[in-house]
Order: sequence, then C-alpha cells, then structure tokens
Amino acid sequence: MAKIGVFVCHCGENIASKVDTGILVKSLSDHPGVEICQEYKYFCSDPGQETVKRAIREHNLTGVVVAACSPRMHETTFRKACAEAGLNPYMLELANIREQCSWVHSEKDQATSKAIEITRSLVEKVKRNNELKPISVPVTRRALVIGGGIAGIQAALDIAGAGREVVLVEREPSIGGHMSQLSETFPTLDCSQCILTPRMVEAIQHPKITVMTYSEVEEVDGYIGNFTVKIRTKARYVDMSKCTGCGDCIQKCPVKKISNEFELGLSNRTAIYTPFAQAVPNVPVIDKSRCTYFKNGKCKICEKSCQIDAIDFEQQESVETIEFGAIVVATGFQIQDTSVYGEYGYGKYKDVITGLHFERLASASGPTAGKIQRPSDGKEPETVVFIQCAGSRDPSKGVKYCSKICCMYTAKHAMLYAHKHHGSNSKIFYMDIRAAGKGYDEFTRRAIEEDEADYLRGRVSKVFEENGKLIVRGVDTLLGKPVEVAADMVVLATAMTPQPDAKQFAKRIGIGYDEYGFFNEAHLKLRPVETAKAGIYLCGACQSPKDIPDSVSQASAAAAKVLGLFSREQLEREPVVAAVGESTCAGCWGCVYACPYNAIEQKDIRDRNGNLVKQVASVNPGLCQGCGTCVTFCRSNSIDLAGFTEKQIFAEVMAL
Amino acid sequence: MGIQEQYRSEAAALLSSGEVKLVIGFGAGSTADRRRPLFARTPDEAQKFVLDAACIANLSTYLVTEGLLSDGKKVAVFLKPDGIRSINILISEAQLKPEQVVILGYAIENGKEITPLEGRNISDFSIGEQIRSLTPPPHILQEAERIEEMSATERFEFWKEHFAKCIKCYACRQVCPMCYCRRCIVDVNQPQWVSTSSHTLGNFEWNLVRAFHLAGRCAACGACDRACPVNIPLRLVNYRMGKEVIDAFDYCAGENSNQKPVLASFKQDDPETFIL
Repeated sequence: MAKIGVFVCHCGENIASKVDTGILVKSLSDHPGVEICQEYKYFCSDPGQETVKRAIREHNLTGVVVAACSPRMHETTFRKACAEAGLNPYMLELANIREQCSWVHSEKDQATSKAIEITRSLVEKVKRNNELKPISVPVTRRALVIGGGIAGIQAALDIAGAGREVVLVEREPSIGGHMSQLSETFPTLDCSQCILTPRMVEAIQHPKITVMTYSEVEEVDGYIGNFTVKIRTKARYVDMSKCTGCGDCIQKCPVKKISNEFELGLSNRTAIYTPFAQAVPNVPVIDKSRCTYFKNGKCKICEKSCQIDAIDFEQQESVETIEFGAIVVATGFQIQDTSVYGEYGYGKYKDVITGLHFERLASASGPTAGKIQRPSDGKEPETVVFIQCAGSRDPSKGVKYCSKICCMYTAKHAMLYAHKHHGSNSKIFYMDIRAAGKGYDEFTRRAIEEDEADYLRGRVSKVFEENGKLIVRGVDTLLGKPVEVAADMVVLATAMTPQPDAKQFAKRIGIGYDEYGFFNEAHLKLRPVETAKAGIYLCGACQSPKDIPDSVSQASAAAAKVLGLFSREQLEREPVVAAVGESTCAGCWGCVYACPYNAIEQKDIRDRNGNLVKQVASVNPGLCQGCGTCVTFCRSNSIDLAGFTEKQIFAEVMAL
Repeated sequence: MGIQEQYRSEAAALLSSGEVKLVIGFGAGSTADRRRPLFARTPDEAQKFVLDAACIANLSTYLVTEGLLSDGKKVAVFLKPDGIRSINILISEAQLKPEQVVILGYAIENGKEITPLEGRNISDFSIGEQIRSLTPPPHILQEAERIEEMSATERFEFWKEHFAKCIKCYACRQVCPMCYCRRCIVDVNQPQWVSTSSHTLGNFEWNLVRAFHLAGRCAACGACDRACPVNIPLRLVNYRMGKEVIDAFDYCAGENSNQKPVLASFKQDDPETFIL
C-alpha cells in the first residue's frame, strides 16, 4: 500500500502569491494513497528538509512528492534528503508548480486548480516508481582538447600540469591560433608572440601532452568518461620524426608566389612552408594543391635540398581512434567576411583593411617588420581612419552581438600607430566605447589623452577614393554634423564570427549552438564552461567573442571541470536507462538507428542447445543516456525507460 | 503454354529440385472471381495454382509467419510489384533474409492481362523508379483529392463517420505484411494506451496509431482496404501518410532493400519545421 508524503512549498511568495496552497494541501490530503500533506515557506531550507526527512521516518513513507520548483533546481536536494531518511532517492518526484504554474498565471483560482492537477498527477506517478540504483561506469582519464589556440593550449597545459594525459588537436600545421597573428596585446602592450610562444613550446614539450597538428576530429562516439574519438591527420609529406626545421627546403622551393594565409595575403609563401617563423612544431608542410611535383610529377627540389631525407611524397593521411574521458572544445573564431560592407570599399580599395591586417602590419614579425605601411604603395599613412563596429551590433548584416574586443584593439591600434609614426593622425568612428575590464578604461583613456586618438561618435556611411585619398564620409552625432575625412588608410573593426563549419562540427560531436553558430553552454551564468552534453566542455571564442584574458580564464575553468571529473576512477550515472522486453521485440532495429548514442546493439537469443532462436535489441546501460527516443520509436512498445516507465507516464496522464 | 501453366511448372520444378520447401500462390476461391492462398509443398500441389487477373492479394504477408523461415530454407511466393515492394521493406526491417525468398513475379496489365516479371531474386527487381511514379488507381486518387479539399472540420467528420463503423476486428492488421510485431501495441494492457472497445475514441486511437506505424512503411497494396469488413477506406489514410513522408524526407518506402527506417534515421538536412 502506497504511503505518499506531499510537501507543498510556498517558495516565499513565488508560489504562494498565485497558488492557494491551503486549498492545494486540502485537496491532496484526500487523494488516495496520500499519507501526509504539509505546506511550508521554504522546503529547500534546512528546517524544510528536516520536515521531509522526519515525515519519511515517522510515517514510513513509500514515496515523496515535493510540489515546488523545477526538478532542475532542487531534485538533487530532495533526493539527498530522501536518501538520508532511508528512502530510495528515486522514490521522489518534484511537481513543478512554480515555473510551470505560479510564474506563468495571473488568475489565482486557475493557478490553484492547475497546481492541484500537476501535483496529483505526480502522486499517481510516484506510486508506480521503482527503487533504482545509480550505475557506475569507469572513467578514461585522458582528455582531448580540440583547437590549439591560446584557449586550447592553456586548457591542455592545466590538465597536463595536474598529471593527466592530454591530446591537443589542431587543424592547421602549427598550434598558436589567432593569438600568434597579433602584434601587441591590450591593455599591457606586451608582444603577443613573446608571451604565446613559450606556452606553445611548453605544450609540445610536455610529457603528458600529445600535440596532433594538421589533424581534425572526425567522429565522436560514447559518453562522459568514455568517448571514442576518430582523429584524421592530413599528410604533411614531411617526416616529423626526422625534420630539424632547418628551412632549406623552403628556401629552395621554386613556387614562391602563393598568397600567405597567415599574413592575410600581405605577403607570399612557398609551396612547402611553415605558417610562421615560430611555428610549433617547426616542421613544414607541402601544400599539395600548389606543389609542382603533385601537379605535374616533376620537381622534388625540396627532397634534393633536404639533407636528412625528411621529405616523403608517399606519405598518406592517417586515422587514429583514441579513447578519452573528457573533451574540451576550443575551436576559436573567424573574422566576418568584410565584403558584406560594400559601402566601406573593402576588397575594392587596397588600403581599406581589417583589424587583423593591421595586427600583421604592426607586428615585428609581420610582412613590413612592424612598419605601418599602406598595402597599395608601401607609403606610411598620415591619416588613418578606424571604423568600429564594422560588422558587430548591426542586425542588418546578420551580427547583432558586440564582438567585445574591437573597442580595445582599435584603441591599441591608434596607440601603436602613434608610437610608430610620430605626428600621426587617427580618427576613430565609434558607437560606444566598451572598455569594461581590468585596466581597460584606463587604456582607452590613454589612447585619447596621451596618444591623441580622435574619437568621433557616429557611423560611417561611405568610403570612396578621390585624388589618391580615401574619403570617409560619416556623421559626428555629438556635434550633429556630417564629417568627411581624407584618409590614407581605413581600418575596419570586423566582427568575430564562429568558424564557418562550426554548426556541422557541433552536430558531429553532439553539442548545441546558437543562431550564429557559437556553441551553447549548459547555463550561461552557472555552468558557463560545460555543454549540455556531459563530459564536453567549452573555452575561448568558440562559445562567444572573447579576448585573451577571458579565453585563458575560461580555459583554466574548463580544465578544472575536466580534472574534477578525472579525480574519480568511477563515475556514478543516473539509472534512467532504457531496457528491452526481449519476448516481444520484433527485431526491426528501428531503435538501433534511432538511438543518438549508439547504445543499442543486436543480441542473439539461443535455446539451451545453442541454436539461434531470434535476435532482439539490447540496450547497453553504460551508453544509454535515457533520452527515450527508442521508446517512442518502438511500435510494439517493447522498450521501457526506468524512472519514466509507460505505466508511470500513463498514470500521470490519466490523473489529469 | 499459357503463363499460368508456365508458373505452375516453375513452382513444381522448384519443389521437386528441393530448392524451396514451400510455394505460396493462389488457388481457386469460393466464387469464380475470388482467389484463395494456396500453399504447395509438393510438385503435385503446384498443379493447382491459379494465376489470373483476380490474383490481387499481397502474399508477402505469409512470409512473416512466426517460425516459417527460421530453418533457413527457402520459400517461393507469387508477387505483384506491390508485393515485391513489401519484400524490400521487410528486408530493410530485418524480417526477411533476401536469400530465403524466391519471387515468382507477375503484373496485371489493365486489370486483365497477366504478364510475367523477369527475375527470381529480390536483387533482380529494380522497382525504385516505378514506385515513385506509381499512382493509386484513379478512383482512389479522386477520393484522396476530394478529402484533401475538405476543411479540417469536414475531414474530421468524414473520418469520424468511417471510424465509427470500425468493429476492432483487426483484419487490417492481420492482412498487412508490415504488421509483423509479435505483440501489437493494441494488445498491451499494462498500461492500456489504446482502448479496446469499439467506441469512437478507441476506434480513432487504433486507426491513428496504425496510420503512424505505417508512415514510410506502406507498400500501398490495398490489402487493409479490401480486408475491412465495414469498408473503411484505409488505403486513403496510408496513401496520405506516404505522400507526407515523400514530401518531407524524399523517402519512398520499398524502393530498395537497404533503406533505413525513415522515422528512426536522421539526416543533417532533414526539415526542422517543428523546432522554433
């Protein structure tokens, strides 16, 4: 005989102001099987939980319904309370009369009767609950970090620093990411390469880190603690174990006029190349699509010039399958395709460039060795116009969000320009100056006050060429006047956008993404580095636009989550898993296809002589995530989900 | 030699050589225009086979009889293109092994003429193209279009009237080759999702559940329609569901024998109209 305890929470005024809890208690007290029904201001408080525990002990309750908030809030709290009072924690149900009732209704009568229905339906469910035990699964204590930018490097170093194995996968030939392209970094103006390269070297030399460059994650199977990941490594055509990075092959390569991607086309590279001088690993790759040998079977000059026979034209791409316990996604960002701003003349005028181009011009290792020169004629510009929000905060161009870093780097650009070119004249068109961060506002003030950056609040409508100058036409909204500036160079603060293949990638590994393609965190405020898929974590600009300090902090946070997971050898999992009724399963394998976690296999049923009688579906409880997709698919109703059985759901529905 | 004699001797040869243990075909029925399934296990029995324009039933349904094929031996069966289509679906759903089925294929031209179909193995029949262009008989199509034009209320009334007649005899299920479940959902009584009594609600529940279970799986043979003792136009429901699946997922059931079940498989470009 069921003895159910019902506990109606006021949640302060959250519930009590819209639901007449007195009526609710009275109505539930009369419900068959309800042994005790009480109300209290905050059942989640210590005295509240004590009341529940005492009731369980005194009345020998067989089930508990707490009518309060969403199970996402306090299911764990009350499950623990039940367990402490000696009741199986899965004999608890939370009736959500807050988010799904009091918060969304204004009529007290209606809200009250709805609360009664919700609670009653959960009482009927809990009567049919079964005692469940958590499943424990082993944890593979090795982490995969996808993306070798500063975020990925930091996460890898932190995890490896705690003694756990890490595989760092980067699709480019070198790790380093966008940070390796930057000149000096705000707000301290330290050289980006100088602070980054030691980290890159540390990563590649770390005994616990395996760096796989020129590689991509192709497939992710499994679940938290037990992922199986396929990683494809493209052919470099250079033997990494032999190459010393002397660079002779690069010197000799006859194909020299290939637009250099790292320098954003501001200089050229050869067909065998390293993306930049400090590349890690310092091993060149052959660009197969441009190499003369691969095109017409002749050349091999690099092979002849290599004194240690490291060039290997026969090299094939390889696929490795590795087991991991956790995955950190740090795949970074791209800059927006600036050609959507036809009015700014990007792509039409050589001297209209993006902020990233400016970084390369200002970088000591860049194509101009740190001199600010116009791409068109190499002259030093006298007047530079910077246009902020050239992409961000502009719904009409598809980017509604603030890219967060542009206010700061534009101030920095004006500063660097002033430092490198005395008597400089920089005009900055801006919408707002957003400089929240340690030392950030001071930094923009410094640009204005010490380095004489001229800030004009307003948008630019058009950039066009006249007598060798770029005429920037805009408005100064503070003066309420149109302005026209004759500039030598225009720098667009382009928006940060997700990687072009971010959505496909997210689908491949099973995590969510927002309308732009930035990956979704489990909770924006409280679980910012976790994804909704347990065991996969996020850091860096793949989640949202971020600067270096934010990316690095988030990387360390993700590493902390991974290490927390790796602190145990076994992982306790919710016992909400599916099970197949073997006697009725027709073996159509629909559930096998439907299962998003590959948790269902075929199983042979044999008689006592070992003859095959039939084949049925069988759920691997270690892999099952309890989503219930198979249950909805099964035509003969041969699959049931523990904790949400057909009987429970049916009773719940029928009680309404 | 007529086609009927040709098929009789072919069936007899299959049986006498021991290639198949059983041939499922048609025999004479209770009236001149009816045919009844005939199960021949010896060459002599094969001489009783009838093959004419009245042989319209989809005999593939007998192949999923429990235990029939568990000995690994072969069975031959007389099939029209819709029956061959059913075989494709059954193979996709792992209910048949292609090597266990020998097909004696035929088509009925203009409702009169019997023409033989080439091939004996399911792999010999490439019916994909045909199926796509196949339209139901004109009177069915007309009726389907008429229902399509109704308002939602009218349509509901139309079906309510028809389903009200249902006596829950489950003849539609028994005759359907796709209803091979050992225990049908309607026979589940813990909990009783589908009410068994034949009142309007229970009748709706049963017929709608069946329609959903056949979405993307129906070979459009019309067996359910013919089997229904109270003349519910069941194939109209299945025709509409099939159309829906083609439009939404470009998936036509039974085109070949290695299709994945449409409602259980996912493609990245599947429409997501239900996600806001």
